[in-house]
Amino acid sequence: MKKVRLLSLLSVTALVTTVLVTAPTVANAAPACDGKSPIQSCVGVTSDGAPYAMQIPANFNGTVALFSHGYRPNVDVPVGIPGYGGYKITNTPEPVPNGDAAVAKYFFSQGVAIMGSGFARQGWNADSAIKTNSELISVFKKQFPKTTKVIAWGNSLGGFISQAMDEVYPELISAVGDMCMADNLEPELTMAGDFLWGLKVLFDPTIKGGNYSAGTAGLLESYADLGKVFTVLGKLQATMATGAWPDTSSATGKALQAAGVPSRSALLLVGLMAGVPTQSAHFDSISGPEGALKLTFPLAISPALAVLENGASAASLAVLATHDVELQAGGAIFDNTKTDYAARIEGERVIYNAALSGNTVIDALLGALSAANPGAPRAVGNPAAVSKMRALQLNTGKINVPTVLMTGVADPITPAGASQRLVDVYAEQYAAEKAAAIKAYQTTRTFKTPQNNLLMLWNTTPASYTKFDAAGSPITSTPAAQGTNHCNFTSAQYVLVAKSLVQASNTGKLPSGGALYTAVRKAGNLSVDKGIRFPWLKSYGNN
Amino acid sequence: MKAMNRSKLITASAVLAVVGLAATALPAQAAEVGVTSTQIKLGMTVPMTGTASLGYNKIPGAAKAYFDYLNDNGGINGRKITLVVKDDRYVPTEAVSKTNELILKDKVMALLSPLGTANVKAVATSVNPARRGIPVLFVNTGFSGFADTKKYPTTYTVLPSYIMEAKIMGEYIKENFAGKKIGILYQDDDFGTDALAGFKTAGVNFAVKVPYPAGGQTAAAAAGWITKFKAAEADVVILFDVSSATSAMLGVAAQLKYAPQWMLGSVGGDATTIKLTGVPAGVLYNAIGFSPVPATTDMKDEYVKLFSDIYAKAVPGSAFDLNVLLGMNSAFMAAQALKAAGKNPTRKSLMAAIDSQGATFANAALVPLGYSKTSHVGLTGYWVGKYSPTGDLAPIGGSYVVYTTDSGSGPVVKSTYKRPAMPAKGLPN
Repeated sequence: MKKVRLLSLLSVTALVTTVLVTAPTVANAAPACDGKSPIQSCVGVTSDGAPYAMQIPANFNGTVALFSHGYRPNVDVPVGIPGYGGYKITNTPEPVPNGDAAVAKYFFSQGVAIMGSGFARQGWNADSAIKTNSELISVFKKQFPKTTKVIAWGNSLGGFISQAMDEVYPELISAVGDMCMADNLEPELTMAGDFLWGLKVLFDPTIKGGNYSAGTAGLLESYADLGKVFTVLGKLQATMATGAWPDTSSATGKALQAAGVPSRSALLLVGLMAGVPTQSAHFDSISGPEGALKLTFPLAISPALAVLENGASAASLAVLATHDVELQAGGAIFDNTKTDYAARIEGERVIYNAALSGNTVIDALLGALSAANPGAPRAVGNPAAVSKMRALQLNTGKINVPTVLMTGVADPITPAGASQRLVDVYAEQYAAEKAAAIKAYQTTRTFKTPQNNLLMLWNTTPASYTKFDAAGSPITSTPAAQGTNHCNFTSAQYVLVAKSLVQASNTGKLPSGGALYTAVRKAGNLSVDKGIRFPWLKSYGNN
Repeated sequence: MKAMNRSKLITASAVLAVVGLAATALPAQAAEVGVTSTQIKLGMTVPMTGTASLGYNKIPGAAKAYFDYLNDNGGINGRKITLVVKDDRYVPTEAVSKTNELILKDKVMALLSPLGTANVKAVATSVNPARRGIPVLFVNTGFSGFADTKKYPTTYTVLPSYIMEAKIMGEYIKENFAGKKIGILYQDDDFGTDALAGFKTAGVNFAVKVPYPAGGQTAAAAAGWITKFKAAEADVVILFDVSSATSAMLGVAAQLKYAPQWMLGSVGGDATTIKLTGVPAGVLYNAIGFSPVPATTDMKDEYVKLFSDIYAKAVPGSAFDLNVLLGMNSAFMAAQALKAAGKNPTRKSLMAAIDSQGATFANAALVPLGYSKTSHVGLTGYWVGKYSPTGDLAPIGGSYVVYTTDSGSGPVVKSTYKRPAMPAKGLPN
């Protein structure tokens, strides 16, 4: 079997449209603008020291699109560490996603300005970023008094920040776009933490997995963890077909190996209990090579390979984000002392029964991972730190202005369930608004149907996409399939979101009906089917 | 974070749907998805290829044969039924993908007889036919959980549950093999779990239980299974498995001359399918089997006779076996449900028709149907038979003695059920 490329989060370098203006050195000063036409560029620094960039078309119509970038580690990562190796901390502003010229061009064609902040700190920065963004809006309005409308949109953590802008400053915002949106911090870190904990207690007990020391020592511990995590994933990849366990496995892992439990089944169970998708960039859990493995591969092997490919990203996030949030909260924040992992996989155990090697093996694995097994000690959080983490920005999901969501159905970092939660919460909100309208009708005799303020765009995977070479080995060198990986959107999809937001900002209404369906079809690999449903992140319980 | 109440969600989405309909000002008599003035489109996922396809790949052909016969005789209120079939290879994730195609691309009105516990569960979880209001008619799995109308409100079972089957098997064991050592081979998933629950209710104690993971039914594995049964000195070995596992087991048993008293579950007990794999008919001789429908060789039975005639014309040269009979029977029941759903059937009226009239639908089974407004339970029992020297299942003593029970702790009783007569020409009234 060919090596599966261990994937990283999207690169965050070189993501912005080129802005060559020299930034003012004084924070909170007016932006420095080049005065060029047809596109004027401005840069500056908000009072918290966050650099920002703005680009304003000559035909500016009073609307500005404020883009919030996604998660960037808050530390440099040494070269050689898979995934993040060589990353240097950066606060470069990102006025459109990935510096996508087509997106910027569309906005400019509509007379819409773009802007974005690099934020004052990286890592999980929602609380400070919301303040930065609100200040940035003020700066922009002051500089360009013609401004009447602000679109808030963002990727990943930036999607979370954009949603928070709607919840905290609805009066500032006219439309919101949350793309590959992160969920609240605790469910996101629980997903990452569960996966990391599973790797630790089964495959390498020397992985620290959190509760990092203060200062440089803690940073070095997190670096060491990154190396160990990728090493163990590499070993699991190498023994995927045979089911052998890594030589670093714990006593619990070795006992399972002796009992005939394949390591791939253990890896898959760890992925399922964390909520890692079973479709990944190159593994659809459907296709098999011609020959003897035609059926066995998708049934027994592919889901584990998908978890391996996706898990590389999830484990990276677990280490880097856990270290970051522990720094902010002042102690260990992952706590699984009360987690019932059997309940976590209740829905999936029958679906992936063959890949999990049957109920007997599943029960053996769950027994090994139960709180009753001292060989798999649970992670204990620091109550004060957990409380502090929970005091950070918490999005309720309330929608005040027209909102567009777009997410990949197999996104391994910000699973589709994060967006599903907003869809479900909004369904309740809408039902309440409808009930209120009916109640109002009883006294006013005027019925006003509440306006739908949510458009959900699911970025779907192809029906099947795993490719095999002549020898029957899966090919992993091709681009990631649509619907997989983190924020793996095309320009056309971003532009569709941009168009929807501009329309909503201009008219107060989201696109709908035939025009929407045509636009969705043209953008490709998107679905607005209301029947699509994904489970919420695992820590929410059974949803 | 408080978990959201599912019923509230469903209510909310229903409200959204209603508002959406009002807002787009659809015509008053908008056609249902999959229903035109000339056609009703149904969809089916089933393993047509791969290890587990053995025997089950005849089900679509059987259902089509009945629908073609129905269409040639006027269809349902002038509409012809089209069955779109997709091969899921018995892979749950593929069942999800293919079901999505049926719903989104082929735009079927309802799903008919999807096969396999894991597949149906995967589709229920990932495709959400319930949330979409799409009927899932007569699923080809006996997993008792699918009769849970709260969890699967649009799903209708048809096969007796594995729990019912195990309870009836247990009753037979108590009456005929008291004191004998009993062994069981079972699929190590919900299929097997259901069966074990039924045997537990029936009070059966096993000398040896041999699980196999789905997809692990190979000849090499079968040799290992036999070693375990031999070591436990099992007198009676129950094969509660799929056809390919039964075939692997009996094929290797024939080679090793291992011959306990076999007892075959209905899922993997179709003789035609087993014999097709090269298992000698003699191995099956005197094995005990269970079926809810008449013996497929019983040409005195009006349903078997008509269905076998229709099938012979539609698929010449293909043996009429249990999978074919069950496939045609489900198609026949679907036709009655569509007829009862009114002149312009909708997904809602289709389900309402089964809820209100389903228990009285004519069908080949010798056991009652359990449909009602509060129950989506299909058939509720079995008759017990033995395999003849030619490998055909026939009732013990020459006449059908039918047992009925439930999926709970209810008793196993002899049924007094009188099967409805076949409507004229086997067409819905």
